[in-house]
Amino acid sequence: MHQRLLPFAVAFVFAGCGGPTADGPKGPTALRKVAPNELRAPSDFTSIADTRERSRALFLEASRVITHPRCVNCHPNGDIPHQGMNMQLHDPPAVRGPENHGVVGMECTSCHQDKNQELARVPGAPHWALAPISMAWVGKSPRDICEQIKDPKRNGGKTLAQIVEHNAHDELVGWGWHPGADREPVPGTQEQFGAIVAAWAESGAECPAEGARP
Amino acid sequence: MSQDVVRVTRRSFLVGLNLSLAGLALGLPALADEPSGRAGPGPRAAAPEDGPGLHPNPFVHVAPDGMVTIVCHRSEMGQGVRSSIPVLIADELGADMARVVVRQADGDKKYGDQNTDGSSSIRKFYDDLRYVGATARTMLVAAAAAKWKVKPETCEARGNAVVHPPTKRSLGFGELAEAAAKLPVPNRENVKLRPRSELLRVNSPSLPLLDGPAYVTGQAVYGADVKLPDMLIAVIARPPVVGGKVARYDASRALKIPGVKRVVEMPAAQRPYGFQPWGGIAVLAENTWAAMRGRAALDITWDPGDNVVYDSSTYREKLLASVREPGTPYRNVGDVDAAFAKAARVVEAEYTVPHLAQMPMEPPVAIARFAGGRCEVWAPTQHPQAARAQVAKTLGIGEDAVAVHVTLLGGGFGRKSKADFSAEAAFLAREAGVPVRVQWTREDDIHHCYYNAVNAQRIRAGLDANGKVIAWHHRTAFPPIGSIFTETDKPGLNDLQQGVLDLALDVPNVRAEGCKADAHVRIGWYRSVYNIFHAFGIGSLIDEIAHARGADPRDVWLEIIGPPRTMSLQDLGIEKLANYGEKLEKHPVDAGRLRRVIERVTASANWSGRKKDGRGYGLAAHRSFVTYTAVVLAVVPDERNKVRVDEAWICMDAGSVVNQDRARAQMEGSVVMGISNAFLGGITMKGGATEQSNFRDARIARIGEVPRKIHVDLVPSDGPPCGVGEPGVPPVGPALANAVFALTGKRIREVPILRGLFA
Amino acid sequence: MSVRIRVNGVEKTLDVDPEMPLLWALRDVLGLTGTKYGCGQALCGACAVHLDGQVVRACVTPVRRADGHSVTTIEGLAPDGSHPLQRAWVELGVPQCGFCQAGQIMTAAALLKAKPKPSDDEIDQSMAGNLCRCGAYPRIRAAIRKAAGMPEGER
Repeated sequence: MHQRLLPFAVAFVFAGCGGPTADGPKGPTALRKVAPNELRAPSDFTSIADTRERSRALFLEASRVITHPRCVNCHPNGDIPHQGMNMQLHDPPAVRGPENHGVVGMECTSCHQDKNQELARVPGAPHWALAPISMAWVGKSPRDICEQIKDPKRNGGKTLAQIVEHNAHDELVGWGWHPGADREPVPGTQEQFGAIVAAWAESGAECPAEGARP
Repeated sequence: MSQDVVRVTRRSFLVGLNLSLAGLALGLPALADEPSGRAGPGPRAAAPEDGPGLHPNPFVHVAPDGMVTIVCHRSEMGQGVRSSIPVLIADELGADMARVVVRQADGDKKYGDQNTDGSSSIRKFYDDLRYVGATARTMLVAAAAAKWKVKPETCEARGNAVVHPPTKRSLGFGELAEAAAKLPVPNRENVKLRPRSELLRVNSPSLPLLDGPAYVTGQAVYGADVKLPDMLIAVIARPPVVGGKVARYDASRALKIPGVKRVVEMPAAQRPYGFQPWGGIAVLAENTWAAMRGRAALDITWDPGDNVVYDSSTYREKLLASVREPGTPYRNVGDVDAAFAKAARVVEAEYTVPHLAQMPMEPPVAIARFAGGRCEVWAPTQHPQAARAQVAKTLGIGEDAVAVHVTLLGGGFGRKSKADFSAEAAFLAREAGVPVRVQWTREDDIHHCYYNAVNAQRIRAGLDANGKVIAWHHRTAFPPIGSIFTETDKPGLNDLQQGVLDLALDVPNVRAEGCKADAHVRIGWYRSVYNIFHAFGIGSLIDEIAHARGADPRDVWLEIIGPPRTMSLQDLGIEKLANYGEKLEKHPVDAGRLRRVIERVTASANWSGRKKDGRGYGLAAHRSFVTYTAVVLAVVPDERNKVRVDEAWICMDAGSVVNQDRARAQMEGSVVMGISNAFLGGITMKGGATEQSNFRDARIARIGEVPRKIHVDLVPSDGPPCGVGEPGVPPVGPALANAVFALTGKRIREVPILRGLFA
Repeated sequence: MSVRIRVNGVEKTLDVDPEMPLLWALRDVLGLTGTKYGCGQALCGACAVHLDGQVVRACVTPVRRADGHSVTTIEGLAPDGSHPLQRAWVELGVPQCGFCQAGQIMTAAALLKAKPKPSDDEIDQSMAGNLCRCGAYPRIRAAIRKAAGMPEGER
């Protein structure tokens, strides 16, 4: 159980930061228009000449995934996970437990399997669990999340490279694009998201200004 | 065959539990001739009553070895009837419970009414069941007296024997059985019931739970646990809208799923729907999983039919419009219009309660076998005679060619009084030529329910200058259950009996009207039925009157009910009162009993000290199933739901009670179910189809959402037994709304209360 | 596919669809009907069993997850039905219809193994996934406390 849980700590560390602010000189209007379910490619950001600005813009793009309820729901800022697009409290009433995988009798994996159970509508992916409280995203701004993701004290001791790798390939992260049943997936694909996170890291892993929103 | 397996399990279990011998025998689970989930029933074992011994009526058999078989003709669905009826009969008989075997009756008219509904098993059969036992006792005593050449009056039956105290002689029931069997069965007038004090176990505080050991070891046999050789499992895609039909379907993908054997189109239901199968497409497979996957792979186009217009939000407005117009008056006292004209003040409100679904933990399920023109059904049915009749009708065969065996019910609450699922299994068993289990999923249960009626009420109270209620005007609109049997679009006199007509009011001017409401879904019984919403409306309005007057709700309840008295039809202002099938002379409308439960419950809850503990308190009371119940709930703020019930007090006057512990359990459960109904409940329709699908959106209370303390007070009584299973539910909803108001100042007049709290 | 599971201490080999929920493998294939179907969506807990000691909802657990592992059902909780929870359940008359009780007891058994003296809040948290439509919750709590050797508490 505990061993099973360890990968989880890794599982939820994301990446991202930086980008045009709504009121900044290079607002989002400068970027190619995309549908809500699409993600921009790193090439869409080459028009931003300033590397730091570009990095911030890339994180804001990544935050379109990161702040999606599909992702945030399991990064609660309290002891109860959320669910659904309205982010209601999880029902049945699951709680975080001492190690982020629930309490006895109500472990996350008492119900959630390694993949979605379509007839049962129960979502699943390997190592299903909550993000540690240090990685809480509910109610956090993209900037807060960016700082948090980069902070090894909070992100499970990960380097930028590990963060990029994690976001590009982790299966629990990847669930966001394949949530099953009638759930709305996060925008784009995991590959595109990985590319955005990689470009953000390469461009200096800058964090967007407080108040900046995608 | 399976008998031995069960016996071994029993014996070892009993050793494990280290229970006394008496406890053991009472704890016997599945009976020898009941089907087994483990091995499946073979040819039905001979019933004990087919063998030698005394068998004066269908309920009792005394074998020459002294074993007493008692038949339980009512279905066990959690109310504890199997732990109650046999005790009553055995006490009258003088049987030793350690030598009693309980057998579950099949559906058969020889047992009388078996519809386990209406909180009636003890209420309606108390005397009959005592006579059943007393008749056998009279015959055993007569046999002994004849043998000893003494007067029967000098003999006593106790401890499974007849004794003659003057000569200290004794003969066991077994030794007397065959001689007694030769005697004529006495008429009822020649059978003497024991004095109440001789019923040794009846009303003792803690009778053993007959099926307890079976429940906790997984040995209890419920519907889906019956397994027959070569049986296929059927899962059915039914029309999402009532009255809808299959327009066309393609089963090719379903048939490719490994394990799927057949796809069968069910006959479409015809109006009036009654208990007919619902139609649709059935997928039959080797196992439940394959059947479920097969159904998911069906491609069906539905013709939704007329009810596609049914939309709960617009329908609610329609019901409210209906109660804003005069309906059919069924209760008239004094001159209501004149009284309102001179009232100093009018308190009025509208209340709405949506459809509710029974949602027993065990979804509907039935097993059928058809061979040689005969059909045998195993089902968790509350109403085996109705199942038998509907199966015969669906198959076009005589009822005598149908046998219905009753398993344990994993909850019923009215849903399993309907025969639809039994008839589905019978139809498919004939089509398939092999036994079939029709397995309903939870989604099926919620989508294809006989819902409790949706309701709107408008209640007005006219107060004089002193605040006394001088006029009461109640309008209620709901589609009645009768709509599944005949075309009807408004509740009638017998529908309004549930809480409206039998409400004790010390008010000189009263009018109650039933208003129009057409049915777009199947309406059915749900534990306490129309009382749920009538108690909600009445109990809320009385609290509103108290608030308007700045008075203590308890005092206002007692004032409106008036002094202790029984009320005649004339007092009530009605032509007749169905009175749950009871005569008014035996079960009058008794204002004194309603007062007493209020007085007792408020005393237990320390009502007068309620303002000091920071909790919100709510009170309500209600008469239903000729029982009187009052409830106090104390609510506290809650992080998740805004409000949580912290403590509950419930007081019930149900007359004589056979099994105190089960009655208490029913009260505890009623509080929980009442909270689920009022706080979380609500089934809604859109495009004619049910919007909810499972416990995710059709929520029922979880352990953390119910009070940790539920105090039950049964009023001691020697009166005739009244209902127990249902009457605890109705006052819970209004008590909750009133408690929420006391805590938050928010008056919520629409169920579910939770939604109102977040609105 | 062939799946090997140790069920209540006995090795079983099942030739079933590996995605078949453990519930149906237990009920339809092995004939162990003590584990109940209540919702099929991991919402009610009627199907709770132990997989290597952990509570899982059998209705959503693919049977392949149990391959090579140990499953305990209500039939195997105690060989003679004498688990302290089973005794407490009977003595306090917890079951009404009884249908959910196998799941309740299996969850409670795991709880007591992990926390021999659970607080009321811990009981609420661990038992939160087990619905009881009859409303036996107050007695379920009392029976857990009794089985744990604690005062039953007022109910």
